[in-house]
Amino acid sequence: MLEFSRSALFRSDSLSWVMAVLIVFVAANVSAFSVRYLAGDRKRSLHLALVCLLAVSVLTMAFADHLLVLLMSWGLSNLLLTRLMMHKTEWTAARNSGLIAAKTFGIGFLFLLAGFWLVSDAAGSPYVHEIVASTETASDEMKLGLLLISLAALTQSAAWPFHRWLISSLNSPTPVSALMHAGLVNGGGFLLVRFSPLLLEQPGILHFLFLAGLVTAVTGTFWKLLQTDIKRMLACSTMGQMGFMIMQCGMGLFAPAVSHLCWHGLFKAYSFLNSGSVIREKRLDRTAGVVTFGRFLAACPAGVIGAWAFAWTSHIPFDLADTGCLMTGIAFMAATQIALRTPEFPGSMPRFVTIPVMGLIAGGSYGASVALIESILEPLGLNQAQPLDFVYSTGFGTLMLVWLAMNFDLAGKMQSTVLWKRLYVAALNASQPHPKTVTANRSNYGI
Amino acid sequence: MTIGLKSKPLKQKQVQVDKVDIMEVIAQASDIVAPVWPLKNFIAVNPLQGLENLPFETAIAESGRIRNSVKNSSPGFDAVNRETIKWCSAFFDDGQATLAMPGRQAGLYRCFADLARFDQRLNRSAADDNFLKRLPGAPSVAIELCLDKLDIPGSQRSEFIRQSLAALPGWAGYLKWKSNWQSPEEYAKLPASLVDFVAVRLVLTCLLSPDATLDKSLEPSAPVNLDGIVAKENEFRDSLLRKLLPFAVRTEDKSLDRPKAQLVFCIDVRSEPFRRTIEAQNDYETLGFAGFFGIPVRIKPFGESHAHDSCPVLLKPGHEVEEHACSTHADRAEQYKKGRGLLSTWKGFYQSLKYNFATPFALVEMLGPWCGLSMMAKTFATHRYGRFRLSTADRFMPEVAVTPGLDHIEISRQADFGEQALRMMGLTARFAPLVVLCGHGSTTENNAFASALDCGACGGNHGGANARILASILNSDGVREILAERGIRIPSDTLFLAAEHDTTTDEMTLFEVEEMSGVEAELVASLRNDLAQARIENSFARSRNFDSKAIDSSEAFEITSLRSQDWAQVRPEWGLARNAAFVVGPRGLTSQMNLEGRCFLHSYDWQADTDGKFLTTILTAPMVVAQWINSQYFFSTIDPVAFGAGSKVTHNVTGKIGVMQGNASDLMHGLPLQSVYSSDETPYHEPMRLLTVVQAPKLRVDEIVRSQAVLQKLFGNGWVQLVCIDPTDGHAYLLSRDFEWQKQVF
Repeated sequence: MLEFSRSALFRSDSLSWVMAVLIVFVAANVSAFSVRYLAGDRKRSLHLALVCLLAVSVLTMAFADHLLVLLMSWGLSNLLLTRLMMHKTEWTAARNSGLIAAKTFGIGFLFLLAGFWLVSDAAGSPYVHEIVASTETASDEMKLGLLLISLAALTQSAAWPFHRWLISSLNSPTPVSALMHAGLVNGGGFLLVRFSPLLLEQPGILHFLFLAGLVTAVTGTFWKLLQTDIKRMLACSTMGQMGFMIMQCGMGLFAPAVSHLCWHGLFKAYSFLNSGSVIREKRLDRTAGVVTFGRFLAACPAGVIGAWAFAWTSHIPFDLADTGCLMTGIAFMAATQIALRTPEFPGSMPRFVTIPVMGLIAGGSYGASVALIESILEPLGLNQAQPLDFVYSTGFGTLMLVWLAMNFDLAGKMQSTVLWKRLYVAALNASQPHPKTVTANRSNYGI
Repeated sequence: MTIGLKSKPLKQKQVQVDKVDIMEVIAQASDIVAPVWPLKNFIAVNPLQGLENLPFETAIAESGRIRNSVKNSSPGFDAVNRETIKWCSAFFDDGQATLAMPGRQAGLYRCFADLARFDQRLNRSAADDNFLKRLPGAPSVAIELCLDKLDIPGSQRSEFIRQSLAALPGWAGYLKWKSNWQSPEEYAKLPASLVDFVAVRLVLTCLLSPDATLDKSLEPSAPVNLDGIVAKENEFRDSLLRKLLPFAVRTEDKSLDRPKAQLVFCIDVRSEPFRRTIEAQNDYETLGFAGFFGIPVRIKPFGESHAHDSCPVLLKPGHEVEEHACSTHADRAEQYKKGRGLLSTWKGFYQSLKYNFATPFALVEMLGPWCGLSMMAKTFATHRYGRFRLSTADRFMPEVAVTPGLDHIEISRQADFGEQALRMMGLTARFAPLVVLCGHGSTTENNAFASALDCGACGGNHGGANARILASILNSDGVREILAERGIRIPSDTLFLAAEHDTTTDEMTLFEVEEMSGVEAELVASLRNDLAQARIENSFARSRNFDSKAIDSSEAFEITSLRSQDWAQVRPEWGLARNAAFVVGPRGLTSQMNLEGRCFLHSYDWQADTDGKFLTTILTAPMVVAQWINSQYFFSTIDPVAFGAGSKVTHNVTGKIGVMQGNASDLMHGLPLQSVYSSDETPYHEPMRLLTVVQAPKLRVDEIVRSQAVLQKLFGNGWVQLVCIDPTDGHAYLLSRDFEWQKQVF
């Protein structure tokens, strides 16, 4: 692992460049934002310096080819992030948030260390490009190594059961949250994609990732829906989105996973920076959108059109035999959802025209976003849809059922049942930040 | 839900007696917390409001003592706080969560009692389960039960409850607002009173901190150094009086020609610099009056489906006024409605994808590219993006001139409003051809505390709508006839116009009226020019107080408008920071000096108020509001953690009602650090208690003070200082705390 001779430490490919553009873009926005947002703050200079260092460290990670460089930049990035999170160390709760994150990152680092050791040993090289080209894929050493790397990815991307640090991270200054949710939580996805050629040979690990992602996606999204403060809602939402991204990796669709982490990153960074505006956001009456069976059936054709538009624009072939069709399923849900809202569209065009058009736009724009990133990553050949088996189809079926339940307002209908009350309180508790990171006593908050 | 009561019928009578007691005990104990308004109509209050019956110094010491007692926290105490925060933030959510807490319509305590037994953090043993299953149905009964269980002796109960409330003054204060200030219709949607709160807290205490006792440490907190503050107050008072005294006996010269226009501004301290600037432009007179213009109404703005109270919270709105588009703007109104419909459809799509299951995965990818672009535009091209947004908004949702619908208010009632306002501001003769009533509001981006910068007299809203109502009333021929009968003759060539002063950018919007004569149009055009010039000059003056100082006036214009559009800006304007005095008198008293935006100015003509009726109103209403504002700035500055909201940098908006610090905390009431400090260490606001200066005969002021309990409380306990400038002898008299008038000699 320690031989540096044959090759350079760094190597660039389209994945490196995509990650680099993302991180530089977000870091530039965050630092420009922070210059004003932290005006007068005692720690502003330190904050800005750390943001720049972090960007450099993540860039190193994106272009690293030697495992040791990758490992060190991974560790350093997390260390810098931890310090950024604490910001004012006088505030005990903020310090504890940093410490809890550091602990999880520490576990992740150990997973990664062990995983890197095993894969480099199995492949006989410390260089990522040589390891992923290795033919030694069947050995137990390689399998275990990849499993450990996957676990490291789960800690970084706050997948269940490593999600606590993310939910407890909101003592950070707002721009740090933006940077974290657009940048470092994506580290897990990046790692999985880096080793995707090997992971594609390991259906067991892919299934494991799919299930871990599914659990994370379902719990994260459910928790998000019952949060009452904006930042924890955004954090739970990130957890759900990371879960979905990991599911995509588990389905063998690594390019869409990269697309998801990029676009989600921008969306979430924007949402965090804009979180002071939430007071003005007026929530529309949800009960107005309660769906009847008839309306739902009427919207389904638009969903089908949206799914078709997605398949067409994203170049993910629709094939019922593999996991690619599950992506089309997501597009179907989104397009149907839009169609369900379309009857309120004011205008002269009849609904039978507007509904399919909206479905087309929804599926098409989703597909176009995916296609953009995919076309950049194309040379890497990251996509290899997996055969659609029982695990994949039941997993996807679960998502679909919960989506249907939401639309038919099952939660509202179950309101007064003991089951729902139990579920509600359990989820409320599970999504609380770590007690040490709550400012229980006002006087313990330090400016 | 009446489990407890049914099983013990014998106790019921005793329970009734206790219930009354407990309510009283809680009402008394809650003096330690002040009501906390939700952020969307942020109302400034004195955080020590409940202690105003005590002398100022004693109240500070008392509040410090109670805060100290809750500072000595044990793990159990902290756990109770954490659980209280968890239950309160989930229960009081006002539109953040998609799936609300089940059964919360039943009220805080009942909902809690119903759900708590499913909470694994509370229900940790068979004994807990037993206790939670048998919780009484009524919160007052639960309080008794818990106090018994905790073994708190009767004599200590009141103090124990006081400490329970003081543990989380923000959340308790929110409950106090709900109990005492929220409208009954709104309250009924989500009932929760202080009794509920105490009951929940005590149940939590029984479960998580069963050894809790009354903390009897009587040590006061490290005393705030009031000496320094008093010295500053005295210095400020002396310098202000020295400036004012030369004008003490001068009365307004009523024989002067009519000015070109009279402009009436809100008493808000931000009006003073602008008034000075506009007066310098031309032959203009300005007046100061409470920014709701004496019209206590609910406003339903054009295009909105909900009405809001637009008057001081001390008043109950008597009418609801709906705004309609002016007939000349019918086309624009049509376009506006279309644009708004489109916008709400778009929002509907967005929200139905976002607050849902599985669909958010697709949503973030559809919107990701646009979020990236907007983030970049807002951060790096703030100004250009702001202009682009305004022009787009103007194309799709053009601004529509509106007129208030007043038909349902009797003409004599309208005349009452008009007469009251004119007499109180002392404008009963010599009307200019143009009288402009200027409300005010702020324009800021991404600012959870936006309403703290709006008009306090309008309940934290923009004041333009109230100005439009008064202008419309005073332009009505019917009203003018009645007013003439009552002795106020408004010349037929006088036009009342409404306007709104944007305190962030200093832009003044004159609201159009449907018919204007050629002369009037000319006057308005020239006024517009002067207002534009005043905007530039005042921006320049204000920009000196920002960290980004302007070098010339055109740059100042850019700086203020940039601040109002910047989503990363934490100090878009200084609001009412540095406020220090409330001056009641004619403009002639203050017009020759620069008061540096530190004074509330209320117009008053003592000669037109022979029975002191108007002065009584001014001192008991606008002055009290000024005192609330002043105390909030005062306390948020001297302790930004206990009384202020802390730094904006780590704010987390909860339930759309308030902010917490980070993951979860007390509801951080008060002003954020950035509103009163220019940096973490340097205060910008200078904490001083309000100084009220009244130009009126001493005898009259004395009589009013003696007849009003609220004034005796505020002046006698040192919350406000009163100085009377007696126009009959030209001297200034300071009212001592034992109500002696001390002549001030310089």
